Amino acid sequence: MSLSVQYDSTFEGFLSAVFEIYRQHLDVGEIRPDRSTAPMDMFLQPFRIETSEEQAARIHRAIVNFASEEVYNLLHAAFLSEEAGVEMKIFSFLKKLFSGVDPNYGKNPASMEMLPIYKLGQSVRREAGGMLGLVRFAVGPDNMLCAEIEPKYDVLMLMENHFSKRFANEKWLIYDSKRGYGLFHDQGECQVVTLPGYKTGAMDLKDDFTDLWREFYKSIAIKERENPKLLRRCLPVRYWNHLPERATAPVSGLR
Amino acid sequence: MDVREKLRILSAAAKYDVSCSSSGSSRCAPTGGLGDACSAGICHTWAADGRCVSLLKVLLSNACKYDCAYCVNRRSNDVPRATFTPRELIQLTIEFYRRNYIEGLFLSSAVIRDPDYTMELLVKIARELRTVHRFGGYIHLKAIPGASARLLYEAGLYADRSSVNIEIPSDRSLQYLAPEKNFASVYAPMNFFAERKLEYKASVSRYTPSFLPAGQSTQMIVGASGESDYQILSLSSGFYNQQKLKRVYYSGYVPINADKRLPVLTTKPSLVREHRLYQADWLMRFYKFRYDEILDEAHPNLDLELDPKIAWALRHPELFPVDIQHADYEMILRIPGIGVKSAQLIVSGRRFTKLRLEHLKKMGVVLKRAKYFIFHPDTPASLRRLYPEMVRPLLLPRPKSGQLDLFANTPLALPA
Repeated sequence: MSLSVQYDSTFEGFLSAVFEIYRQHLDVGEIRPDRSTAPMDMFLQPFRIETSEEQAARIHRAIVNFASEEVYNLLHAAFLSEEAGVEMKIFSFLKKLFSGVDPNYGKNPASMEMLPIYKLGQSVRREAGGMLGLVRFAVGPDNMLCAEIEPKYDVLMLMENHFSKRFANEKWLIYDSKRGYGLFHDQGECQVVTLPGYKTGAMDLKDDFTDLWREFYKSIAIKERENPKLLRRCLPVRYWNHLPERATAPVSGLR
Repeated sequence: MDVREKLRILSAAAKYDVSCSSSGSSRCAPTGGLGDACSAGICHTWAADGRCVSLLKVLLSNACKYDCAYCVNRRSNDVPRATFTPRELIQLTIEFYRRNYIEGLFLSSAVIRDPDYTMELLVKIARELRTVHRFGGYIHLKAIPGASARLLYEAGLYADRSSVNIEIPSDRSLQYLAPEKNFASVYAPMNFFAERKLEYKASVSRYTPSFLPAGQSTQMIVGASGESDYQILSLSSGFYNQQKLKRVYYSGYVPINADKRLPVLTTKPSLVREHRLYQADWLMRFYKFRYDEILDEAHPNLDLELDPKIAWALRHPELFPVDIQHADYEMILRIPGIGVKSAQLIVSGRRFTKLRLEHLKKMGVVLKRAKYFIFHPDTPASLRRLYPEMVRPLLLPRPKSGQLDLFANTPLALPA
């Protein structure tokens, strides 16, 4: 009977699972993160694997040896998509990579196993890059900057470096309300805080500059060239909730 | 007048400037300061017209002493006038930046007393932002034609990018529409920056301060005067090759002023032509096309129905179809419908396998246009030679089929 391997939804957990699968020669039917709510396949036997930093580090090293650090980062990005079944895609790539049939296998982004991962990784990175501009801080009490985001993919950790450098001397919090955790930065130190169900109230904290920003946003558009379709393509409606300049705007134009 | 009112007037006055990019410069946050510059550039929002907003784009003042026909701020227009104080503008920039609304400041101005006076004010604001407030974000400063070399030089030290707008693509039309301006006065600051940048590049040391790290850009209005696309592209190509400009922006003319020298007020902005010009511009910047390949004396204007790459390909049937397995990267880039990313994927993927159509589909290469121009093992016999007159109708946008009107008077074309 094949196994449904369960792990704690982190990338380290996934890599540990891969390690154990190799060590114990497991017959894997699916790899299932704990957050998954989809019904279990009744023909699979659940099998839990605990996360181990050391095992994850060994798999990391192996990936770098067989391919490159770049490929490791790409796998990580694809993993952050949280798409159902992404673990098996990565696993089948790793199986082929570790089998060592083709020494250049890791360099081919267009191979059958790599291509879906490559595309997924690209779209995660695209969202992470776009999100850098879409975080809106509100100034809270004691001058703390507070922002709430709801990205489609789990990109918060990919943004840490950018904001720690840019706002090095500020105290700020970026909270992912969809996943219930945030990044808190104070005095040059950044840490992950888990606050399930927390309300930042970032959209209710208003001051003069929020109003001025709205005013600026309204007057910068050229009326003769209005283009709602283009606007929605560039700035999808799912982000509007957390943007003060668009939050109150009606969803107009084409659906 | 309060800041809100000023911001409304002065950002509305600046909106016809197209440039809003924040790319090309990479700077670490200054110690104890705020902000850095990201070399890829970051868009922070998109305005209702679909244009990206990444900088706080405002004029310092719209009280202009010039009288250019195409400009909303010209002396003879009756519009509310406003001027920011440096303090207001600096506070706005920093507070917007802290809230991550913007990537930096885009500061332009109408000519207030004389060019030097205006430029001095612009430079002063940039200097204060950089030195007093230790601001590390992006600054785009307009260079005012006619300003002295000393001020331009100082602007280059504080700003990431500078721009002088050429506005009208030929000297004769420019002097006709803007009596106070001519090509020479626009080229002077551009050349000055280009030369200083070369000097700075030559002396590479850790201690050399950066001079306009994101280079220069310019903008021209399309459709306000009678220049052909060929003239426009040859001008842009000169800017890219000689002045080493990073970007040339094209702005379809939006009629603002009633003036007998300009198209009538009811003219719709020529957005399709503007779009085609940008496509041609991209071909020059990223696809290694020369301007005289895209257009020539015989074809002085871009085809509004087809993009310039297809138009070029249909004029050169002898080069197609291109064998994707063996052709150079440069040639693959020239296949209509294939962009830089697809071309790179093809070139790196074909080393490992013989590429067939299904591989291309999986890679996400868009075959809608490319399929007529590529050669692969599964190419049907009918497509092994390119017949432009046969392919062209297939590439044209299909007319939308709507429901027929029962009471329309137009006779139905029935099949014989």
